[in-house]
Amino acid sequence: MPDHSFVRNGISRRGLLGGGAGLIAAPFIIRPASAAERITVADPGGVYVTGFTPAFYAPFRKTGAELVNVSRDSEPTSQVKAQVDAKSYVWDVVSITLSSRKLLSDAGLLEPLQFSGADYDELLPLAKQPDWLGTNVYGSVLGYRTDNMKARPSNWADFYDVARFPGRRALPKSPIHTLEGALLADGVDPKKLYPLDVDRAFKKLDTIKPHIAVWWTSFTQTTQLLQSGEVDFLPSSNARIQAAIDNGAPVEIIWDGGLYGMEGWAIPKGCPRAELAKKFIASCANGERQALYTKALAYGPTNQTAFKFIDPARAKQLPTEPANFSKLIPSNDEWWGANKDKMFERFNAWLLRS
Amino acid sequence: MTAMSARDYEPAPVAEPAISALQPRLRRARPLLPLLPLFAFLALFFFFPVGQILSLSLFDQSGAITSANFAKAFSDPLYFDVLLITFKIAGWTTVISVVGGFPVAYYLANAAPHSRNALVIWVLLPFWTSFLVRTFAWMILLGRNGAVNQLLLALGIVDAPASLIFNLTGTLIGMSHAMLPLAVMTMLPVMQTIDGNLSRAAETLGAGRAQIFWRIYIPQCMPGISAAAMMVFISSLGFFITPALLGGARETMLTQVIITQIQELLNWPAASTLSVLLLAASILVFVAYDRVVGLSSLAGGSADRSARTVSAWSRILDVIGRAVVNGLGSLCAGIGAVFAWLLPARAFRGLGRGSSLALFLIVVAFLLIPTLFVIPASFTPGNAVQANPGGFSLRWYEAVFASSDWTSAAWNSLVVGLASGAVALVLGTMAAFAMAWNRFPGKTAALAVILSPLIVPRIVIAVALFFLYSKLELVGTVTGLVIAHAVLAVPYVVITVMAVLATYDRRLDQAAAVMGASRWQTLRRITLPIIKPGLLSAFLFAFVTSFDELTVALFLTGGSFNTLPRQMWSDLLLQINPTLAAVATLLLVLMTGLLFLNERFRRSAGRH
Repeated sequence: MPDHSFVRNGISRRGLLGGGAGLIAAPFIIRPASAAERITVADPGGVYVTGFTPAFYAPFRKTGAELVNVSRDSEPTSQVKAQVDAKSYVWDVVSITLSSRKLLSDAGLLEPLQFSGADYDELLPLAKQPDWLGTNVYGSVLGYRTDNMKARPSNWADFYDVARFPGRRALPKSPIHTLEGALLADGVDPKKLYPLDVDRAFKKLDTIKPHIAVWWTSFTQTTQLLQSGEVDFLPSSNARIQAAIDNGAPVEIIWDGGLYGMEGWAIPKGCPRAELAKKFIASCANGERQALYTKALAYGPTNQTAFKFIDPARAKQLPTEPANFSKLIPSNDEWWGANKDKMFERFNAWLLRS
Repeated sequence: MTAMSARDYEPAPVAEPAISALQPRLRRARPLLPLLPLFAFLALFFFFPVGQILSLSLFDQSGAITSANFAKAFSDPLYFDVLLITFKIAGWTTVISVVGGFPVAYYLANAAPHSRNALVIWVLLPFWTSFLVRTFAWMILLGRNGAVNQLLLALGIVDAPASLIFNLTGTLIGMSHAMLPLAVMTMLPVMQTIDGNLSRAAETLGAGRAQIFWRIYIPQCMPGISAAAMMVFISSLGFFITPALLGGARETMLTQVIITQIQELLNWPAASTLSVLLLAASILVFVAYDRVVGLSSLAGGSADRSARTVSAWSRILDVIGRAVVNGLGSLCAGIGAVFAWLLPARAFRGLGRGSSLALFLIVVAFLLIPTLFVIPASFTPGNAVQANPGGFSLRWYEAVFASSDWTSAAWNSLVVGLASGAVALVLGTMAAFAMAWNRFPGKTAALAVILSPLIVPRIVIAVALFFLYSKLELVGTVTGLVIAHAVLAVPYVVITVMAVLATYDRRLDQAAAVMGASRWQTLRRITLPIIKPGLLSAFLFAFVTSFDELTVALFLTGGSFNTLPRQMWSDLLLQINPTLAAVATLLLVLMTGLLFLNERFRRSAGRH
């Protein structure tokens, strides 16, 4: 094995062999991005790196600037806050969800962005926020096992109809999109979903509670649950359900009545390398580049021109493919931003009362 | 000679002129000096930064002073319920781990030294499979279509798949599996130092085997048992991933709620308030535990107890405790007598040894279950980890070796683990000597202080250290992570070493001193070699704490350098895939191989 593989991420062998001296010297060896023309980009890691490298990172590196990509925590809001409050910028660009953007933006922790140009104009309206640019759309959709479900469900109402659609069910241990699902099942008009009628949602949830076999807490879990047949019917992100399908599990996605959210780039407020960071973010609006990440990542480009470059078979699996997208409802982060804490408390209390 | 206390052993003052009245006091405080480095270390890297974050509980989000945070936490029954659930889960985990770990430690302590060291390696196996891999392994094994249910169905034990997971049962299986090695490795060094002559003396005086066990052996094990129970309980309070993945609707830990407050709601004051509550409740439990079980047994024998003015309350408990132990002794003696009457003497003795072996094997088998699943899963030809992989392929191993991400992450984890283990071992052992061999006011409080890094949720420690590190230019550095991990690991070292020292026979030191050995020579040639098993356990706990740590590493490095848990977490993003199983298998083979080699070298070195 070539020696450099050990050095790559910071701790050199010499640093270790030098014992104490190596450890004291270490801060100087791995100071995070401090060179003038270098930015550090935090993404969710794993398959995102596989997708974003050819799509965004490699083309940007070709411009002559240095870009280091690092993996972030699943919910990096407090990390952004800590970095801004302490003025210690480990990241120059960070991938966050639209709802995290709301939280951070309200707290004044994001750098304002002003973009223009052809690529930018083609983006979905929600992807163009004053301090955030959306790169990919995820669907919060239902998936089910075609072998274990005797009748084929087609919407949220069927999820709540345990008599006509018998099968083991799972729900997330979180109110987000769970309340929306309950209201849609109860017949609320998707266009008049928000502001959520919370009492009505919990009343509907009462009816399904005894039939929930698993309250899942991580998206990874949902792939496993469907894959192994532990659960037959559950809501999750479309990419997680797609992973089970790709592994050969007899599973289908229901786009109807699904919600969608976005992930995208933001810059921590006051970041000294904000100018270069903005250049990077602007380059991610391009449709052709967005098309590239869809090979690895089953999320929908925010620039619809991307579909010109995507294989039609793959396009059918993505949330922003026009036919799928027309069935999805935007998640309202304004409402969630104002109500999230109360909803978490009420949901947790509701779960514990049994 | 026997009644000699620690005070008598103080070296004679060498003609020191009394300059001030302060001097005798200073001299009396001198044995406590070894505590200083640890307290200074914790003050700077734990109490100062964490105190700042916890003080946020006194402010509202705009920065004005308020008692509203606490008022809200107390008025909402939700938090009280979650706290109760947290303590219930931690309590059950402790009971299962200590009761299950005892026969294992007992068997190991009584095995021949060379086979003991080989057997310990099996008990340690779960340490080398990351908690993420282990938890997912349990998810697959205990599921409706999992191997365990298939076995139960095939044996006709159940008619329909049993609910082994997504409830309290699943949570406790996962948590006690994680905690059993800790319990065993804390009790073992104590049991190894027990003087077998006492049991033999009791036998000579006519005590039956059961009586000896309950009235002579168990009381001598108490420092180990109480140390194990405390470490398991306090460590369990901080668990959240296992209950989240294996539990049901009701298995919500307070740590999980705190994480939601920090990350989903960005409400640091609320998170701080809940952390303060968790800390306060834990200290209450700690004090109650001290009153009832007596940490004094851990901190230097029951002499402590009689010296103190004992309250009527603890005297009553003491009487009850004695009655229970004596009663159990008589009961077992009775049952034993029946067996002895039915069976010939040799068969009876064989039965005793056989049942201790059987218990050992059952618990070790439980510890090995997830490992036995991980190894075949790593050879899966397909993309998904499944209960029945079917086929054989090395492609996932090729993938691991082809990517420098895994090798560099492993290297980083090893370096950080060894360094933080070493720091924790030195600081913790010094403190443990001072704690175990001195009686001083506020000792219980000092112990609570040392244990608190285990109670404060790691995400809170991570946020706190980030602010400190940004001033010290330590953000994203190896040094910073080593220090943080040493903070998390040092309580394990202190408790483990204290437990061994509690049963250490100080007359050996006195004998060495009489023979003219200096203090340093005595320490190096007599004390340290004798307590070596305890030191090794302590180092191992410290190393594993760092090796398996995700939250703090994630926050402090910002991803600027990868550790193994970080790399695994990233790999788990979409699904649990066989790469992870391959990495886990490699680690298992590597670590176990190293331990075996070490054991071989030690043995051959000992022979020459």
